[in-house]
Amino acid sequence: MSSTKGIVSSFVEGAPPGELADVIADIKNLTTNSPSLLRELGPAFEKYNEEQFATVKLPGSSQLVIVSEHSALGDGRYFDVESSSSFAFDHATQKASAVQSHVLEGAQADLVKSTLKALGPYVKEHYPNAAHGVYPIENDSRIAIVIVANKYSPNNFWNGRWRSLYIFDPSSGALEGSVKVDVHYYEDGNVRLLTNKPVNASVSSGTGAGIAKEISAQEKRYQEELNRSFTSLSEGAFKGLRRQLPVTRQKIEWDKVASYRLGQDIGGGSSRR
Amino acid sequence: MSVDPFDSALDLLRRLNPKHTAEHLNNLITIAPDLTEDLLSSVDQPLTVRRCKQTGRDYLLCDYNRDGDSYRSPWSNQFDPPLDEGGSLGGVGSGGGNEGAGEGAVPGERVRKMEIKANEAFDVYRELYYEGGVSSVYFWNLDDGFAGVVLLKKASPKGGSNSEGVWDSIHVFEASERGRTSNYRLTSTVILNLATKGATLGELDLSGNMTRQVDMDMPVDNDESHIANIGRLVEDIELKMRNLLQEVYFGKAKDVVGNLRSVGSLSEGQRERDTQRELIGSMQR
Repeated sequence: MSSTKGIVSSFVEGAPPGELADVIADIKNLTTNSPSLLRELGPAFEKYNEEQFATVKLPGSSQLVIVSEHSALGDGRYFDVESSSSFAFDHATQKASAVQSHVLEGAQADLVKSTLKALGPYVKEHYPNAAHGVYPIENDSRIAIVIVANKYSPNNFWNGRWRSLYIFDPSSGALEGSVKVDVHYYEDGNVRLLTNKPVNASVSSGTGAGIAKEISAQEKRYQEELNRSFTSLSEGAFKGLRRQLPVTRQKIEWDKVASYRLGQDIGGGSSRR
Repeated sequence: MSVDPFDSALDLLRRLNPKHTAEHLNNLITIAPDLTEDLLSSVDQPLTVRRCKQTGRDYLLCDYNRDGDSYRSPWSNQFDPPLDEGGSLGGVGSGGGNEGAGEGAVPGERVRKMEIKANEAFDVYRELYYEGGVSSVYFWNLDDGFAGVVLLKKASPKGGSNSEGVWDSIHVFEASERGRTSNYRLTSTVILNLATKGATLGELDLSGNMTRQVDMDMPVDNDESHIANIGRLVEDIELKMRNLLQEVYFGKAKDVVGNLRSVGSLSEGQRERDTQRELIGSMQR
């Protein structure tokens, strides 16, 4: 990881939601001695876009489509089931082009379409700004379900991303995946929330409606637990680190601070930890 | 228009995961070695604890009590490992912009006396506010006064709970003495790393740092009042920062998650808002 390219790639992959362009601008300015470096970062951009579920509008469309390893066709092309199209994606500029018709066929085509349809109302009801996609994977043996929601507010110094990925196995009914939340706040500081919630569930009906219902239940339970954990961290670990005021509920009388030690043994001696 | 590479490095550190600042810092120094001194002296990292061999008390390590590979204990005023004879030629790095630690990192007699008093005072402060943890204060001479750093570190006890946390406070100040008043310029950084996990929750990491500055003139009668003034400044800014951290870590972060996904149904929420608006509208008519 000590090569310049390796280091710079790690910076790209660590870019917070909505801040890839800022990170690239910083990298450019720090590596003016090797101007060809950015052109060598193709693999890092590709990894970032596929892992972060980059979204893009196809030319002439207002619908967002998702870039992920599950929708990859190779040669920098990706497909989208909803719009029955495939497109070329430029990983450096995050722009789509060369749209072609892509009609889904194969053993899972019906399940993919019914899951996509069942998921639509759920996503619309709970995500103000999200894209979702369903794709047949692993030689048509399973389907991948992706939901990604972004909210960027750089003027207020915060950005956030929610990513859900589920793999459904029609032969066993297993629904496995993860939900990841990434929030960055950077006014006079740098604060980052990163979560990872593994999901192991099953959908006995094996239908698109059943899958959407299970995802809805899982995500509701997760977000409620996440909200509770903010409270318990605030009341627990945070409170235990530093008090808001001393036990006396009064600020220190600094003119008399030397007498605190003489007057009462407050245990500031040698036997800590 | 060209941007100073140093500013780009700081911007990058403000964006990349704050939990791994040390790693990012090393990487930046590798690709931009010219920035090494500037970055090391301006980027705050979590503090390391060491036990003083002479007194058995814990103290905190930072650039301001460092001389080469040795660190000075505020309790004994001794370096560990001890400096070579003639070690006063040492200094930090290659004489890079650290006035305090440069001259063998030992303050003059008057300033060391204040440093001893400040360590006693902030030991009281630490116990009252942190009920544990470690504190250290280091002073150094300036041409028109003195400067110093107040350090506090507390880790939440492990075991029992699934949650853990570490708090690091770094308060750097310069005191310019102007007769019966003194001007204090204070830059305070708190590094707060929290993590928790559970079966339903999975893993959650909430880490970061925030910085605030204050500039204030305060009356000075004697050297004791310097300690009291610095104490009040640090106490006030830590209270403000604690409240700010609470707001950002537990309020703002939760709000942003709520902006990404709504627990309740969005259309129902919209219907309720519409009904409310109609109700208010009809009452105003």
